[in-house]
Parts: sequence; structure tokens; C-alpha cells
Amino acid sequence: MSPSDSDASRFRSVPTDRRGERDLDDLLVHVARGDQIAFETLYDRLAGPVYGVIRRVLKDSSQSEEVAQEVLLEVWRTAARFDPALGGAATWVMTIAHRRAIDRVRSITAAAEREHKIAQVDTPHDEVAEAVEASLDAERVQRCLGGLTEIQRESITLAYYGGHSYRQVAELLNVTLGAIKTRIRDGLIRMRDCLGVS
Amino acid sequence: MKLFRRDLHSLSGAYALHALEQGAESERFARHLNRCPSCASEVREFREVATAMAFAATTAPPPELRDQVLAAAALTRQLPPEVKSHARARRARVPGRARVPWVPWLSGVVVVAAVVVAVLFGYAQAHTEQELSQARAQNQAIALVLSAPQVKLLTHATTKGGVATVVLAADRHEMVVTTSGLPALPAGKVYQLWLIRPAKTVSAGLLPSATSGQTRPVLASGVVKGDTLGLTVEPAPGTAKPTTTPILALPLPV
Repeated sequence: MSPSDSDASRFRSVPTDRRGERDLDDLLVHVARGDQIAFETLYDRLAGPVYGVIRRVLKDSSQSEEVAQEVLLEVWRTAARFDPALGGAATWVMTIAHRRAIDRVRSITAAAEREHKIAQVDTPHDEVAEAVEASLDAERVQRCLGGLTEIQRESITLAYYGGHSYRQVAELLNVTLGAIKTRIRDGLIRMRDCLGVS
Repeated sequence: MKLFRRDLHSLSGAYALHALEQGAESERFARHLNRCPSCASEVREFREVATAMAFAATTAPPPELRDQVLAAAALTRQLPPEVKSHARARRARVPGRARVPWVPWLSGVVVVAAVVVAVLFGYAQAHTEQELSQARAQNQAIALVLSAPQVKLLTHATTKGGVATVVLAADRHEMVVTTSGLPALPAGKVYQLWLIRPAKTVSAGLLPSATSGQTRPVLASGVVKGDTLGLTVEPAPGTAKPTTTPILALPLPV
């Protein structure tokens, strides 16, 4: 694969683009057969979003690196269990990454450290935001998030990027549990339509 | 009943974002997904939205992560594909349903997979009864480290090429070291491991000779806070103090 190819496909790999997805699916099929070169290519395509989403949730860079390593190794180890019928490769990998980040947040010690970290550092969020690569993906997601009501947007970002459970989100936003469930779901439906997910 | 179902259905968004707390509610919704194809497809679509949000957060990882991950993958045995008996296999693999996402446990599994391969070399190389029973005893000690509740997997390249993989069980003050792809040494030279300490550097044993570029795991005990794992090339059969510059100096997070 030439460098320009892989640059272009980085953008195609957004889940709404079927072509990009299938490309990654193929790669994962080769990874499942023990192809280390395919795994290197997969790493180059997905390590950025894997690390990025984990970092958004965990904030702490060394913990994020640890979790990202575990996630990427798990992708290598369990690639044969990936089933394209259940969704694209990017979605499979990002679901694992986000799940592991959330597990880490919810394990008690990590939670304590994280509170400590937030108390210590004044602007952890801004630092992270600056490190995030400006991209078409980011613009599109920002635009679609902008189309939500404030409470929908806040519930979704607090849950997904903040790593909070919907109960915690309800608490933070001072809204009932029932309302939060609905806001998250309604917001995601709008995001789905805005992003053109089919 | 209808109200109850609708109520459950409205959890699809929170479920897709991993915002349900682990436990009864999350499991109940996961069971519901098996019976509700429209909920399952909604969750799938929401996961794609989440994936776009992950891509939007793309951040360059630390450069050393690439080597660490690729080296660890090279040492890690992959799971075989699931042989599916239809309905059941499908049910088991609804995304997010896996019940095991507990990080220390996961690390253990990854680590065990990485080292099992190397342990097997130990048996393959044993030619006599005595060697075999030594290999067994050593493997038992290694197994104790690998099954420790909290282990850390560290992988680091040496300055001469190849990588060292360390499984550290900090609470046991023990670690298991295996290497892959180190350059072969001339006769009369050995690789020696060290625990580098401010006060005194102590030997942590020799690396066994490599099979297919991989050395079988060695156990080192007495690891304490502040130790750095060192690796040097020394005259056989090893020395009391390092006499050459370490080709690896890996601080151990004890």
C-alpha cells in the first residue's frame, strides 16, 4: 500500500464509508491468519483513534498507553473472532477500546487516581483537545454534535468521552434517569442520521 | 408489560456508549438484545456513531507504543476462530456482550499467551529425565508468577536488536524474562541479566540459549522498588559485576 493510499483510506475508514470499512475488514481477516505485516498496517490505521478515545476517557497518558497496548494486543489475539456480519472492523476495534477504557475508569483505584489527577492539573481537557489531530472526522462529528440540543450533546459527550455512567450523567446534569436515557438515545439517533450511518 | 419493554428499549443508547453500570441492568439489556433484532440493529448503528466519535478524537500515540505492540504480538499466540453452532454462536457474539472485561484478568491472559509459547521450548529442549524435571519445576515457579493477580507486561527493544519481554509480579517480587530476536553470540559469551540498583548491581541469572531466536523464560526473584532490569554481554559463565554497557536498561514498575 503506498503512503498516499493509506492517507486517503484513513478518512475512508470512517464507518459510514462502506469502501473504507471493507478495506479494514480484509486487513483484519489477514491479521486473524497471523499476518504480522497486516497487523502493522492495521496498527498504523487504528492506533491513533484507539489511543485518542482511551486518552479522552482516562486523561492520564501513561494509563492510556497501557490500556491502548492491551486493546491492540487483544485485537491481534482475538482477530479470528471478528465477524463482519456484526459490524465493521473499525467499529469492532473501537468498541473494545472504549470498553477497556471504561473498565479502567470504573475500577476503584483508577477512579481515585483520576480524581487526584484532575484535582492536580488545571486544564487536562484542553491539553487533550490540543493534541487531537484536526481531521475531517473531527469536523464532521463536531458539526453533527452541534445539531443536537444542549442536553443531548452534554449527555452523549459526558457518557462517551467522559466515561460516566448514565446515572452519573443524570446526577451531573440534574435530570431524571428516564430523561437521560431518552436524551442519549434521541441524540444518537440524530447523530446517526447526520453522519449518514445506514 | 408493554411499558416495561419500551423502558428497556430506551436503554439502547446508554448501552451502546457503555454507560450502563456492569451488573443486573446491563445483563438484562444484553439478554433483551437477543430477542429484539430492532434493538440489536439500533445498538449497531449507535456503535458506528461512537466509532466516528473515536476517530474524531484521534491522537498520535507515543512512538514507542508501536514497537511494544508489534513485539508483544509477535510473541502472543492467537485464538482460533470460534466453531459456531449457529444460533448460540451468534448470541454469544453480540458486541459488548462479552462478560469478561476486567483489565487485570485480561492482562493475565495476554501475558500467559505470550509466555506459553516460550515455556514449551523448555520442554522441547529437555533431553534427559533430570532436565525434564528441572524444566517442570522451573515452569511451576513461572506459572505462579503468571497466575499472580496483578502482573505487568513490559516489552522493550535492546540496543543490539531484538526485544525482551518481562512479566512482572510486583507483589511477589518476581519476574519472568524472555527474549526474541537477540543477535547470536560468539562462543564463550553469554547474555546476563542484572538488577541494577543505586547501591549495588546484582546478577539475575543468564539467558538460556535461543531456539528459533527465542530464549525460554527465566525467573528472577528479589525484585524491589527502584530496580532496573539490565542485560549485558559477558564472558561465559557470567560475571559478578557487569563488565560491558547494558544493551537494555528497563526500569521495573514495582
